Amino acid sequence: MGYRTGLAGRMLLNKRGSLAAAVLAVMVGILVLHVNFVIFQGLFDAIVRDLTDYEFGDISITDENDYIERSDSALAAWLERVPHVEAAAPRLSGSAEINLTKNGQRFEESRVPIVGVDPVRDVRASTIHLTVDEGQYVFSRNSMVVGGAVARDLGGVQVGDSVKVRVVDRWGQDQERRFIVSGLARAPGEQGFDYRVAVHIESLRDMMGRPGATGSMMVKLSDPGMAAEVRDHFLAAFPNDDFEAQTIEEAAEQQLAGFRSGIAMINMIGYFGMMSSAFAIVTIQTMLVNGKTREIGIMRAIGARRRDVLVIFIIQGMIIGAAGAGAGTAAGLGYTVYAKETKMSFAGSIPLEVSYDWAKIGQTALAAFALAVAASLYPSYKATRLLPVEAMRNA
Amino acid sequence: MYGEGAARTAALRGIDLTIYRGQFVLVVGSSGSGKSTLLNMIGLLDRPTSGRIVIDGSDAASLGDSRVSEFRNRKLGFVFQFSNLLADLTVVENVMLPMLMAGRAGGRARRRAAALLGAVGLEKQAGRRADRISGGQAQRAAIARGLANGPAIVLADEPTGNLDSVTAAATVRLMKSMAARMGLTFVVVTHDRHQFGEVDRVITIKDGRAFEEEGGAPA
Repeated sequence: MGYRTGLAGRMLLNKRGSLAAAVLAVMVGILVLHVNFVIFQGLFDAIVRDLTDYEFGDISITDENDYIERSDSALAAWLERVPHVEAAAPRLSGSAEINLTKNGQRFEESRVPIVGVDPVRDVRASTIHLTVDEGQYVFSRNSMVVGGAVARDLGGVQVGDSVKVRVVDRWGQDQERRFIVSGLARAPGEQGFDYRVAVHIESLRDMMGRPGATGSMMVKLSDPGMAAEVRDHFLAAFPNDDFEAQTIEEAAEQQLAGFRSGIAMINMIGYFGMMSSAFAIVTIQTMLVNGKTREIGIMRAIGARRRDVLVIFIIQGMIIGAAGAGAGTAAGLGYTVYAKETKMSFAGSIPLEVSYDWAKIGQTALAAFALAVAASLYPSYKATRLLPVEAMRNA
Repeated sequence: MYGEGAARTAALRGIDLTIYRGQFVLVVGSSGSGKSTLLNMIGLLDRPTSGRIVIDGSDAASLGDSRVSEFRNRKLGFVFQFSNLLADLTVVENVMLPMLMAGRAGGRARRRAAALLGAVGLEKQAGRRADRISGGQAQRAAIARGLANGPAIVLADEPTGNLDSVTAAATVRLMKSMAARMGLTFVVVTHDRHQFGEVDRVITIKDGRAFEEEGGAPA
């Protein structure tokens, strides 16, 4: 490489405007991909995070027959002895009619999703209690957490209000009970209890006429990467039960499938953006070659082979690619750090779950570098076709 | 031959010329006579439609493009009308370039380039960018570059054509003294024969044909 590298670099440095434009083209291409990744993958991961933290855990255990009849305490205790399992908590879901009389005015909401939680276990297996921004989480059999959206629909429920909850039990009879609102829950992105209410699981079991029944068991792992192993271990341990155990990806597949294809599409748009950068490089490199016709003629006259000229301009493509990939990656990482440190969210929505995917960062930088080099091939080839005499005469 | 069909023109015809080692040869002729084409043929920058160009015993015109480039690099030195230094490089780097192309190590190339620049009186300009020196200095640097690989022939195309008379005279003196001191073969195309004074040989090109005017084979 020797003198060719030096010459390529010097020729490029003396065309700073073109160099800057080409580097900028590559940099912007990479930055777009990074921004896309931070926003869309961040949003996807945030949804997965919230679904994991609020609803499914790392593993969600259900029963083919709608309800788990085994003792939730026994099951949770068994699970918590399994390596990598940090906590397990039972949940029971149903639908309720809620009414509230306030200042002489009656508010009623029907078909409100109601969730029964074990407050002691739930705070260990889930972080949903952290979404209670007023009052406190379910702490007794007659306390209730009301989601922000439900509270609004019920005319502005406040902590301390008494609400009447009606549930249809397993025999089709209405069961009514009063609860005191202990807390109001609002989660950014409304993935928490926003459209639901939560009560003590024993209260809901009583009302539904299903003593000891559990709808699902959410299992939190210390290492979420072990979810598949723990799931398989659990299913193998209870071969005669009708348990179903799913990792978060399986449990939330419906919610995530659409998002995944959206991300793939956005990434494709990003790669098309990078292709535009490649076209910009072809144009700029062609301009560089046209601007160096005389120099190419001189080099050929004093003994440069076609291969040498090709190498010089390909090295220029490599310099542009490396500088662009470096600058783009730095800018992209800067944006990623900013998004992570500021817990970026849009219009108060779900805060992005920003992560550093080093393999993807490296892959993007390499792809941009390769594209820049590939984009320089045609202009470089064009440079080799110049005849020395013609090049010097026409320059 | 240039052009296609009816526009086909013979730039040179029936040239049978031998340039002897160590001669200082002038090629003169009116504008468009074909003298630069002849120089480009000898310099392997252009290929003849038919015929042979033998340099140092090798039929250079029959070589492939890559070998021709190597041949130009090692056996031929060029001095053009507009010096044609690479503006992106310094003066010394311009002189080093043919040596680096020939695979010579950077340190050795730099030392020889410095010596050549000293010989043409440009040691103080060595580190300046090639586009920051005067026309006369650039032409002297081009001569140093032309001598870098110890060529068999130095080919100069109107080397004084772009210089004022004083600088042109100094450039001519330099070329002649280098030729004499180093025993080099010089083939110089010029339209101003008198600028060069006494030379070994003068060849006139007229309508693409060569006529010997003075000199010829050495005694």
